[in-house]
Amino acid sequence: MKKIISVFIFLSILSGMELEIGSTMPKKKLELNDIEGNKVTLSDIKGENGTLIIFSCNTCPWVIKWEDRYLDIANKYIEKGIGMVAINSNVARFENVDSIEEMKKHSDKMNYNFTYAQDTNAELAYAFGATKTPHVYLFNRKNELVYRGAIDDNARSAKKVDEPFLKNALDQLLVNKQIKKTTSKAIGCSIKFN
Amino acid sequence: MRISLLFIVLFFVLSSCTEVELLPAESIDVIKKIESYKGDKAVILNIWALWCVPCVEEFPMIVELGKQNNELEVVFVSADFEEQYEDVKIFLNKQGVKPFSYIKKEKDEAFIEGINSKWSGSLPFTVVFSKKSGSIVDSWEGKEPESRFEIAVNIALNS
Repeated sequence: MKKIISVFIFLSILSGMELEIGSTMPKKKLELNDIEGNKVTLSDIKGENGTLIIFSCNTCPWVIKWEDRYLDIANKYIEKGIGMVAINSNVARFENVDSIEEMKKHSDKMNYNFTYAQDTNAELAYAFGATKTPHVYLFNRKNELVYRGAIDDNARSAKKVDEPFLKNALDQLLVNKQIKKTTSKAIGCSIKFN
Repeated sequence: MRISLLFIVLFFVLSSCTEVELLPAESIDVIKKIESYKGDKAVILNIWALWCVPCVEEFPMIVELGKQNNELEVVFVSADFEEQYEDVKIFLNKQGVKPFSYIKKEKDEAFIEGINSKWSGSLPFTVVFSKKSGSIVDSWEGKEPESRFEIAVNIALNS
C-alpha cells in the first residue's frame, strides 16, 4: 500500500511540474518541423523584445474559440519585436488530424502570420510542463519566463473578455513594467502525448 | 395484490425513463455536494466535456464503477459551453447518469482554483475522495486506465 501511495505522490509531483516564472527558456536549440518544411528552433523565433510560445493544435474547440485572438496578438505584437510561434505537440495525432499537411491547411485557412511547427516527440511540451491547448508562455528578451497560462478569461467571445491576461503581460513587458498577473488558468484540451 | 404489483412495475418503468437533471454549478456547489458524502461514500469527481475525446472514451467505465459499488458516488461536471446544454443532457441520458449532474457556469480560472489548485485546466480531470475523511486520495489529468481508478477507489473506500 505504501508503494502505491508513493507512486501516486510521484505522479502528482510530475503533473505539477510546470515551468516556474523566472525560469530560462528550455530547449532553445531543439529543432522543430514547421509547416513550410523547414527546421526551426525557439532561438530562431526569438524577437528582440521577447518570445511568445503557444501550445496549440488544429481541432481543439478551445483553440478554435480563441484563435481569433492569436491573430490579433500576432498583428499587434510581432511588429513590436515579439517573436511568436504556435507549437503542436499532439504526437498521438501526427498521423492524422495534426499532421504537417493538416497543420498547413489549418494555418492557411486561419491566415496564420506566425510560425506553426510540430514538436516531434513532444519534448518541448514536456520541458515546459505544458498540458493543454491553448497554453501560453511569454519570455522576455533575456529568455526568462514572465507569463504563462491563458490568453484571456473568455474563450467564447473576444468582446466579452474582462481580463486580457496575455495582452496585459505583453504591454507591461514592452514598457519594462513589472507584470502584475504572471500566471492564469483556463480549461483546454489535453495535449495528446501518446 | 395486482394493483400493488402494477404500482411497483410503474415505479420502475418511470424511474428508468427519468431524465437526468443537469444543474449549472460553480465550483463551490460541486465541492459542497462532495463534502455531503463524507462518512457515507467515497467519491469520484470527473470533469469532462463532449468535445474531449479521451473524456468521452473513459466516461462509460466511470459510470460503471459507480454502479458497481453502493459506497461510491460518481460526480460528473461538464465543462462544455452553455450552448451545448441540451447535447450534454442527451449524452448523460444515453450514458444512464442519474439523477443529477453538473455543468460548469463559472469563469475558468475561478472554477479551476475552486475545484483543485493543482489542476492546470486540462481535461479530463479526476479527483478521488476518501469515504471516511473526505480527503483527496488521488487526482490526475488526462485519461487513465480502469486499474488506476480501481486502486484509488479501493484506497478511498478504506480511508
